[in-house]
Amino acid sequence: MLVTILTLALTGVLWGGVYLLMASGLNLIYGVMKIVNLAHGDFIVVGGLLTLTLFELHVNPLAALPAAALVMFAVGALIQRGILERLVTAGPAGELRTLLATFGMSYVVSNVGLLLWGAQVQSVPFLEGSVDAFGIRLPENLLVCSAVAFAFAIAVHIWLTRTMSGKAVRATSQSAVGAAACGLSIRRIRVLTFGLGCAMAGAAGSLTITLIPFQNSSGGPLTVQAFTVIALGGLGNYVGAFLAAVILGVAEVTTSFVFGSNAAAAVVYILFILILVFRPQGLLGRSARV
Amino acid sequence: MITGFRRNTALIALLALTLAQTTPVRAADTIKIGFSVSETGALAAPSIFDRQGYELAADEVNAHGGLFGKKIELVHYDDQSTPSTAVALYQKLITDDKVDLVMGPYSSQINSAVTPIVDRAKLVMPSMDANPTAFDGSHPFVFQAIAQTPQYMAPMIDFAARRGVKTVALLYQNSPFPTALASGIKDEAQKHGMKIVFEEAYPPATTDFGPLLLKVAATNPDLLIGGTFLADAEGIVRAAKSQNLHAKMYAFSVGPVEPEFSRALGPAAENIFGNTLWFPSLSTKGNAEFVKAFRAKFNRDPDYHAALSYAALKLMTTAAAAVGSLDQEKIRTWLHGRTIDTVLGPFKLSPTGLQTGFSSYVIQWQKEKQLLVWPPQSATGTPVFPHPGWQ
Repeated sequence: MLVTILTLALTGVLWGGVYLLMASGLNLIYGVMKIVNLAHGDFIVVGGLLTLTLFELHVNPLAALPAAALVMFAVGALIQRGILERLVTAGPAGELRTLLATFGMSYVVSNVGLLLWGAQVQSVPFLEGSVDAFGIRLPENLLVCSAVAFAFAIAVHIWLTRTMSGKAVRATSQSAVGAAACGLSIRRIRVLTFGLGCAMAGAAGSLTITLIPFQNSSGGPLTVQAFTVIALGGLGNYVGAFLAAVILGVAEVTTSFVFGSNAAAAVVYILFILILVFRPQGLLGRSARV
Repeated sequence: MITGFRRNTALIALLALTLAQTTPVRAADTIKIGFSVSETGALAAPSIFDRQGYELAADEVNAHGGLFGKKIELVHYDDQSTPSTAVALYQKLITDDKVDLVMGPYSSQINSAVTPIVDRAKLVMPSMDANPTAFDGSHPFVFQAIAQTPQYMAPMIDFAARRGVKTVALLYQNSPFPTALASGIKDEAQKHGMKIVFEEAYPPATTDFGPLLLKVAATNPDLLIGGTFLADAEGIVRAAKSQNLHAKMYAFSVGPVEPEFSRALGPAAENIFGNTLWFPSLSTKGNAEFVKAFRAKFNRDPDYHAALSYAALKLMTTAAAAVGSLDQEKIRTWLHGRTIDTVLGPFKLSPTGLQTGFSSYVIQWQKEKQLLVWPPQSATGTPVFPHPGWQ
C-alpha cells in the first residue's frame, strides 16, 4: 500500500515536471511581454519532430535537445523581430492583436510541420526501462525528462533574479517605459525573451516526444495544457507555475488511480475553476510576480 | 443613401461573380467522382492513404478505357479533419460540382456527418464507418465499405482462446469506435469462456498510462487488450514495460498496424499483436497487382486504408458498368445482391447495408517486421506466444 502511494506521488511530481517544462516558455513570454503565445504548443511539436529526425540520424534525444532549442530560438527571434514587434500593442485591443497574430502563426507552424513530417503520430523510443527502488517503479525517460525540466526551471529562475540580463528582462516586464528610460534596449530584450520562450518550447518538445506521441496537429491541446499550468500558478509567475505543475501532476495521477482516467481528465479543470473562483490571480499571482 | 446604393451594387456585382464562378462548367466527357479528404488536421495520415487508394483505382479504370468510354475525373477537397467542413463540401460536391458518384470521406465521425445529405440526394456512398449502428436501414443509399467494429477483434480473441488465455484486462479509449470495439471484445471473450478481470475506459487526451497499468498489474492478466489508436497504444505499451507487466499476450486494435509503431517503441514493440483488415501478402483477387501498382505510383507501401478505398471505388465503377448506367437505385440494388471479390476478400452486404463479408487478421511485430500470424491459412509467420518478457 505504502509502495503504491509513494509510486503515485512520485509519478505525479515527475509528470508535474513535464507539465512545467511545457509551460515555462509560455510563462516567460507572458511574464515579460504580456503575449499569450497561442503557437506555443506548435513550437513544442516542431521541437519534438526535429528530435525525431535527428534520432533517425542516430542522435540521442538529449543531444538533439540543444539543437532543437537553438532552431526554435532562431525561429522565435525572427517572428518577434519580423511580426510581433511591428504590431501596435498599445490601446484596448493590443493584447487581442498579438493573440490573433500568434493564433495565425499556430496554423502556419503546424502546417509547415505537416509538409515536413507528414501527419502521422510520432514518438521516439528512448530509455524505455524503469528504475526500481524499494519496489517503487519509475519510468527512466520520465525521470530524465522531469530532472531536465526542473533544472531548466531553476536555471531560468536564477537567470531572472540573479543576472544582469535577467534583471533587465524583469525590469522590462514591470515597466517598458521605465526600463527604456534607464537605457535598456527594449526591442532587443523582447527579441531575446520571445526567442528564449520558443527555445524552451523546442527543448520541451525534444523530451516530451519520448513520453507522449504527437503529430503535427497536436499543438492546440498542448498550448491549452501549458496555459492551464501558468493560469493556475498566476500568469507570468515562476514559482507559481512550479507549484501548479506539481499539484496538477499529483492530482491527475492519484485521481486516475483512485477514480479512473475519465475523472483524471476532469480534475484538471475542476481545479482550474476552483482557482478562478477563489483565487482569480492564480496560486501565487501578484504577491510574488517576476 | 449613396452608400446604401453603392453597397447594393457591390453586392450585386459580387453575386454575379459568384454565379459566374459556380455555373457548372460541366465537361460532358468525364464521369465525376467526388469526395472529401482530410489533407490537413489530425486525420491526415490515414485519410491521404484513402485518397491515394481512390486515385490508383481511378487510374486503373481509366487505363482500361474508363467508364462508359469516358474518363473518370476525381473531384476532392480538404475537409481539414472537421465533420462540419465535410458536410459543406459534400453539399458543394452534390449541388455545385454535380458529381456523378460519391465516395466516403475518412473516419466514422466524418462519414456519419455526411451520410444524411448524401442519402437525401439519393446518391450511393460507400462509407468508411465501421460502427454497425450507422447501418440500421435509415439511410438506404449509404453502405459499409469496411468491416464492422464488433467483429474487428474476433480473430484475435479466437487465437488467444486457442492458446489457453483465461483472464483479460481491457483498456479502451472512451470515443465511439474503441467503445464499440470493447463491447465486441467482451462478447467474444465471454463466448470463449474468458474472464474480464479489469476494464477501464480513458479519455482521448490521456498521456500518462502509469496509474492505469499499476492497477492492471495488480490483476495479473493473461491478455492485455486495448481498443486503441496509435498514440494510446504506444502509451500503454510504454507503461506496461515500465511496470514490468508479465502478460502472456498484448494486443491492440489500431496501433501495431501502423509502421510508426515499431519506430516509436523500438524493442518494446517486439511480439505485440495487432489487428488489420488487409495485408500485402493476402492472396485475395488482384492484391499482388494492387501492392505493386501502389508502390510504383506513390513510392511507398499501401496500408489497409488505401486497400479499403481502392476496393470501394472499384466496387462503384464495377457496379455502374454492370448495370450500364449511373442510375443510383440500380447501382444500389446490384451491390446488395451479390458477393464481390476485392483485395480485402469477399465483399457482401446485409439488407440494411452492413458489410458482412471480409473481416480482420491478426498481425505481430517480430524483428521490426509485421507478420500476419492468424488465421493460419493466410499466415506469413508463426506467432510468438507467450510474450517472452520485455527486452
